[in-house]
Amino acid sequence: MFGEQQRFMLFLIAPAALLLGLFQVVPIVIGANASFRDWALYNPKKTWVGLDHYRAVITDPAFLEVVLPNTFIFMILSVAGSLALGLGLALLLNRPFRGQKIVQTVLMVPLMVAPVIAAIMMRWMFNDQFGIVNAVLEGLGMEGQPWLVQRWTAFGIIVLTDVWLWTPWFTLLLLAGLQSLPKEPFEAAAIDGTTTWRVFSHLTLPMLQPVIVVCVVIRAIDAFRTFDIVWTLTGGGPGRSTELFSIYAYVLAFLNLDLGRGSASAIVGGLIILVVGVVMYRLVDRVTKS
Amino acid sequence: MYRLARRTLAAAAVSLLAAGAANAQVKELRIGYQPSPIQDASIAMFETWGAKNGVKIVKVPNSYGVYVEKMTASLTSNSDQYDVIWHNDDWGQLWAHLLEPTDDVKGLEFAEKWGMDKIVFGNAAGQNTVVPMGQTFSVFFYRSDLVKPEEVPKTLAELVEASKKLQAANKVKFGYVGGMSMNHSWFSWLWSMWGNNCDVLSPPYERDNKKLAANGWKSMMTEPCMKETVEYWWDAINTHKISPRGMPAYDRNEANAIFMGGDAAFTVADSLWWGTFNDPAKSKMAGKIAAARFPLGPNRKEPFAWDDIWGWAIPKSISPERKKLAKEMLAAMMVDEEGQMKMFKATGAPPPNTQFWPKIAAADPFMKLLKESVLDSPNKVRGAYYFANWPAVHKAFNDTVTKAVTGKREDIAKVLAEGAPLVSKAAQ
Amino acid sequence: MAMVREPLLFARLPVGGRRLLFGMALFAICFLFAFPVLWLILTSLRPESGVYYVHRGTEFTLASFVEVLQDERLLQAFFNSAMISTLATIFSLLVTVSSGYMLSRFKGPAASTWFGTIYVFRCVPYISWVIPLYFVAQSWGIYDTYIGILLPHIAVHICFFSWLMKGFFDGIDPSMEHAALIDGCTRWGAFIRVALPSAIPAISALAVLCWLFTWNEFLFALILTGNKVPMVTVVMAQFVTEMGLRWNLMAATAVMALVPAFLLALFGQKYVIRGLRI
Repeated sequence: MFGEQQRFMLFLIAPAALLLGLFQVVPIVIGANASFRDWALYNPKKTWVGLDHYRAVITDPAFLEVVLPNTFIFMILSVAGSLALGLGLALLLNRPFRGQKIVQTVLMVPLMVAPVIAAIMMRWMFNDQFGIVNAVLEGLGMEGQPWLVQRWTAFGIIVLTDVWLWTPWFTLLLLAGLQSLPKEPFEAAAIDGTTTWRVFSHLTLPMLQPVIVVCVVIRAIDAFRTFDIVWTLTGGGPGRSTELFSIYAYVLAFLNLDLGRGSASAIVGGLIILVVGVVMYRLVDRVTKS
Repeated sequence: MYRLARRTLAAAAVSLLAAGAANAQVKELRIGYQPSPIQDASIAMFETWGAKNGVKIVKVPNSYGVYVEKMTASLTSNSDQYDVIWHNDDWGQLWAHLLEPTDDVKGLEFAEKWGMDKIVFGNAAGQNTVVPMGQTFSVFFYRSDLVKPEEVPKTLAELVEASKKLQAANKVKFGYVGGMSMNHSWFSWLWSMWGNNCDVLSPPYERDNKKLAANGWKSMMTEPCMKETVEYWWDAINTHKISPRGMPAYDRNEANAIFMGGDAAFTVADSLWWGTFNDPAKSKMAGKIAAARFPLGPNRKEPFAWDDIWGWAIPKSISPERKKLAKEMLAAMMVDEEGQMKMFKATGAPPPNTQFWPKIAAADPFMKLLKESVLDSPNKVRGAYYFANWPAVHKAFNDTVTKAVTGKREDIAKVLAEGAPLVSKAAQ
Repeated sequence: MAMVREPLLFARLPVGGRRLLFGMALFAICFLFAFPVLWLILTSLRPESGVYYVHRGTEFTLASFVEVLQDERLLQAFFNSAMISTLATIFSLLVTVSSGYMLSRFKGPAASTWFGTIYVFRCVPYISWVIPLYFVAQSWGIYDTYIGILLPHIAVHICFFSWLMKGFFDGIDPSMEHAALIDGCTRWGAFIRVALPSAIPAISALAVLCWLFTWNEFLFALILTGNKVPMVTVVMAQFVTEMGLRWNLMAATAVMALVPAFLLALFGQKYVIRGLRI
């Protein structure tokens, strides 16, 4: 039935496809099924309600006016922040200096600790009374801030934590990319006496672009669904001012125990990032091909 | 070939029978719980009983973060993982139809009636579904080294005065600190509201779902008493500065840390914290902490008390033999005087058997206070609502008041009015 | 223009000054980067009465570590977490290296369908499927078993790693494999003997990262395990109780969990940098 090549291809993906099917596709299909039904976790009636849950989610002003803008702002800030920082650190580490090894190890520290623990630590550090951040600020004669009760400072702390957690990824991937770049163009530029900035913007950046874009797409999808650190740091507060899409879905499914509505909102969010991702992926494709 | 199949079948049948026989003779009970001093003390009583009766007590600790979700999913899927599970008034109605009625548990006649009310734990047939573990509720804590018992503020206005006086004398950094963020609203928002003849839904203090529904699940967000409460906390934080500016985002851990660190003179926390607050290993203020009744707002003259229980429940889906054994164990726990005395010592929680209360109160001043001001109080309030959408209502309420208290003072009424329909809608 | 002037100013400094400035900047970056973890370590050494006001007071103690270590489940949890992380790493890489190879070497409807599937499932937020996953694990009888926690941990990496693996193989010239095929090698032979060895750096890089991921994973572990297969993160999560957080015990456990992760990162980083070229 299948040619030799087809069989080979099938065998290559079979284990992955099987696992994916059992542990992602099946639960996702159950969730998708629940999203069309009256399915409370404590009382699963499972009666068909059609698109009611979807209608409720996409007409919820809080979802449209607070949650979605927050999620996109967070996604952009977090990805841009960790990209900029990661690129800077990768450039720094790309040339040899004494202690480079130590610096490299230190930069991997955020990968070593569970994100939830890191988020709790951050929350206590930014507490206005016992937090070390205010203690240092007050020691320097500045005024301490109630970080987590103001929308934008709270948002800033969430972004900061996320950037901190993900910068190592960007650093590692970009550093590996930098080290695999051909040497010749850089040597030629050095002979011509080109300035550092011009080398960076005209040589390094264009050559790194494929790596950067792949990193950005994958990371953007992940940033869109960021959950644990936001839940730990602010729970979406104060009010609902830092609520992201995943918090919205979590509150419905885990707090209100409404599996139907929770799944519907998660699927709406999934569809949005799917489209955003495809657009970005097209971008990847075009950039890598040119 | 046939013979082989028949033999296999026969062997399988024998082993099934054997398994059935083993099941009929239950030798262990599985307890789904959460490690904490009160539950540990209660399980210690189970273990005493188990040792006497040759039943192994299997402790299955669960994480608080996903306890309700996992337990609910486990109960609805009839998964037979636990024989006895930790139960709480908040989920009383959520699980009532999934739990075994407990009216026939011996010793239940000694339990306190308010906490086990049908409104909270009764199923559709009017049967009870809980066996109490102990009473848990919040009380008003103060620093006994700074405030004499007769000087303890009795009103919210006095709380401001007392705090300002202590702060001005440089005795303490802040007057009051308490949790305010979602799921910790009890420790500032709810008690101050109840003390001002106010509540989340109207009429105040009503917990009968029929009456709440008849009233259209109307919220009290737009009532003057609610505006007063929010303004009170706004002023406490911004005008009088008796509470830290970060307080609207605090959970109980942060508030208790500040209180135990000696930076606040007053707080509200669960009575179970009595032990921790006064433990020198855990608290810098050990030995300097006492408790009192809640201060009242301008609308209320009569003191009120907040009283709830924690309990144990039996899943409906387990086998009759296991149910019977579980009930025997819970009945033994109800009358285990030695174990209940130990529970009080370890936690400060009034134990499930009311007959032991006078004895404890005679020997312990904290119990005396709890008994006078809470347990024997005629004006009790329940700490939650008992319908499935309560978490959604709670969140809508908390989001609204947090938004109001972190915004401009003149916008408070407007923010509350915007939040009112959201709270009502969440209830329906 | 500002970007140009900055280095010039820097260049005008004497060499010694430049070195000093560079060193100080490096130290500052490292310090800030490591600070939350350093603070966590300091926290874990404070007595319980001082775990929040870490900077107030100078008493230090190992009491929290001692208390945590008294729980015999902890040792078991460390063993389980290490086993699950290691097995999940091995199997994730096994299944994704072939899936990534397929994506890289073949064009056409089959490859693009598979890529599309991977992409779509990468986008589904896990919040929407952990609760159904619990039902699935229960009905298949694998809740709270090794297999029940291991398989989902493998599955969760398939999308991401297949994508990265495709990138790695894209960077490896396929002409060697073609030559091998012409020489009479089978497709499997070409994949295993020719392509795989050149992907080893990339695989070892992903191995390090995969292990760290699984080691620190919370939500799956919380949902899919009960009492029989305790994981380190689940033991940590159990310090969050209805009565509040036992932060000193949580911090101590987290610091202990940091040690294996640190060792792996320390010795594994050179493979990571060498291998992560996409």
